[in-house]
Parts: sequence; C-alpha cells; structure tokens
Amino acid sequence: MEAGRYPYFYGPEGRLLQVDAALQAVSRGSNTIGIQTEEYIMLSSQVKPTRPLLDPMEKIYNIDEHIGATGSGYVGDILKLIDEIRLESQRHRLTYDTPIDTASLARHLGNYLHNYTLYSVRPHGASVILGGFDALGLQLLQVDPSGTYFKGQAFAIGQNADAALSVIEGEYKKQMTVEEGAELSTKAIKAAVEEDPLIEFGLVKKDTGKFEKISPNGFKARLPESG
Amino acid sequence: MTTIVAIKANDGAVLISDKRASKGFFIGAKEVQKIYKLDDTLGVAMAGLMSDAEYVINVVKAERNLARQRRGFRLSVRESAKLIANMNYSAMKSFNPFYTELLVAGNDAEGPHVMSSDMSGSITTEDFTASGSGSPMAYGVLESGFKKGLTLEEAKDLGERAVRAAMERDPGSGGGVDFLMLPLNSFKAKVNA
Repeated sequence: MEAGRYPYFYGPEGRLLQVDAALQAVSRGSNTIGIQTEEYIMLSSQVKPTRPLLDPMEKIYNIDEHIGATGSGYVGDILKLIDEIRLESQRHRLTYDTPIDTASLARHLGNYLHNYTLYSVRPHGASVILGGFDALGLQLLQVDPSGTYFKGQAFAIGQNADAALSVIEGEYKKQMTVEEGAELSTKAIKAAVEEDPLIEFGLVKKDTGKFEKISPNGFKARLPESG
Repeated sequence: MTTIVAIKANDGAVLISDKRASKGFFIGAKEVQKIYKLDDTLGVAMAGLMSDAEYVINVVKAERNLARQRRGFRLSVRESAKLIANMNYSAMKSFNPFYTELLVAGNDAEGPHVMSSDMSGSITTEDFTASGSGSPMAYGVLESGFKKGLTLEEAKDLGERAVRAAMERDPGSGGGVDFLMLPLNSFKAKVNA
C-alpha cells in the first residue's frame, strides 16, 4: 500500500488529500467573520443571494443561551456540525447542570471532526466560528475540518477570507461600539465579495452574557441600546 | 452506621465525622477515615458502604482533574455534586445502587456550598446537613446551634459538638472525631495563582 494510492491516506508529500480538499471547500463558501472586542463578540456571515421566492439561508445559529455560531462551506455539513454542538451543549447541561464553556464546545467539535480524518470517509467541508460567554469571559474560536481549533480576536473564513482578514487586521480595535464592529465586519465582507452583500449578524454581549441574532441588513433597525 | 456533618460558614465549609466502621453489631474498625479531600476546594464525607463511596469519590476526583485540565477552570461544587448524583441515579435505575450518602462541601466562584446526594440520585443544597445512623442526634445539636453567618471555626466547633452528641447515644458511631476545613480563601488563592 504505497503512499498516495488512496485519497484517504497520506499523499506522497505527507499531506492528507481529503482534508486539503475539505479546506478548499471551506474557502469556496460564503464569507464569514467573527470578531471579539472587550465588550462583545460579533459573528457575521454573507447570505448568498437567492431567487425571489426563496427565503435566504440562515447563517448565524443559536447554540445555547450564551453561545452562537456561524460557518462556511457546504451548508449541509455546517448544519450537521451545528446540530452536533447543540446536542453537546445540552448533554453538558444534563451532566453538570451548568452551561457549557465555549472552549469545551470547540474541543468537542474538534474531536468530532478529527474522527472523520482517520478513516476512509469524506471529512466535513465546513469550518465553524464559535462565540460565547463563560467563566473565562468572552471566547472566540474557529474549528477547521482537520479538527484543529484556534482561539483568537478575529477570524475570517470562506471565499477571499484573506482579503477580509487583512481589512480587519488593519482596522481592528479592542474598544469598538457594536455599530463600529458591524461596520468593520461589513467592510471586510465587502472587500472579499466585491458586491453589495446581504449580511446576517449575531452578538454575544459581555454585560448580559447572552447570545442574540440580528436579521439580514436589519442591523440598524434592531440595534441594541449599547451601540 | 456513621455520623457525618457538613456546615456552610461565612468563610468556607467544614466536614465533620466520627471514626467507627461497624460490622453488624460488632465494631469492625475504630479509626476509619470517612472524609476525603478531593483537592484544595472540595471535600466529601461518606456514609453507607465504604467501598461504594470510595469508588464514587475516586471517579469524581478523576473527572474533576480532567475537567480542570481540559477547560482551564475547576468544576463548581454543584457540578461535582451533580456528577455524584448522576452516578447514583443511573446505578439505582439499573437495580445496582451505590449504597451511600455523600455530603459534598467546598468553595467555588459563588462562595462556599454544602450539598448532599443519596443513593436515589437526588441533590439537596443546605446550610448544614447530617447523615448516617447518628444524624438524628446530630441534627438536635445543629438545629439549636446553627445560625447564619458562622465563622469557619465556629462551624467546626458546632459540627464537632453534633458528632460528639451522636456518639454518646448512637451505637453505630464512635471512636473520635475527624474534620476537614475548606477555607474560602484557599479557593481564591487557587484561582488567582
């Protein structure tokens, strides 16, 4: 069984072909961003335009009272991963009678995804960004199809993620109002997709510790007082 | 056949026990440890079958270590009590119960706590609680002596009097008194470390 013979074993350069392909699938998905400031975490995702009679796809997901998530890649894969972490957060409540912390949820998702890199199956073509509030404060994490997870202040995934990320890296500030955060996210997504995108937002605020969703481009209309 | 007591104080929580292990009407051992310190912030006192209690305590100790390393902060007292209750409940439902009642005392971000979980898998949260064959006698002392806002030292003295009262009249309890004090500031020291 020489190297490179099967797509689910190591390739000749020691790469996992299937995992690389999964990451490629993520980078074709809609542009999706997570930023963390001192007061909140904001998740934002481009909602791809649809036909007039079709409702736009939901891209920001409520995981638990205190955690929200978004993702990029194959929507079917994203939805399955979202379901898996919703299940895990309820499982945690059953076991410990407390809300799960964000990093533990990312770890669970990482383990779950990693399993699909070990056998002759297709890894999930989706990355997920998690934002939540727990005993350690606000936490923003990204989980990749390889099972790797990162903690950080800002992430961008999906098509042209590099362009979006460089906008954020240039203008990111620890202290931003919710409105400024939304503006920066919108600017970053616009830089990546070069059109007038429909964007869905989600917000985890430090003062309430709760996650809330904000509907596409309705940000100003439903802007909370703290802005 | 035991007397164990747990009391919540202003500045921590304390566990007090006797030392007697019974074998029917016979005193099986005279210096038995019934209080376990899982770590600096949590202690458990056991009544009932010693082997079952020790097994449950060891599992919870391992789970606490694992959780702390994985998520970066400790399980709260309630989370730990819930783990014990889950084990007790599933054992009861599979007709193979752990024959124990455990008193859980410790400190977390919310402050000191005292809880108890019996073999049915229930959890009760209280200011003070007692268990074992000597508990009716211990409760007599606790009910008349307990007031809110005791210092840890006062709580320990009250608990000791309760256990000693039980040892006077309960043939299942005796052999002396053990205690474990869990000061709130040791949790704070651990968190800030």
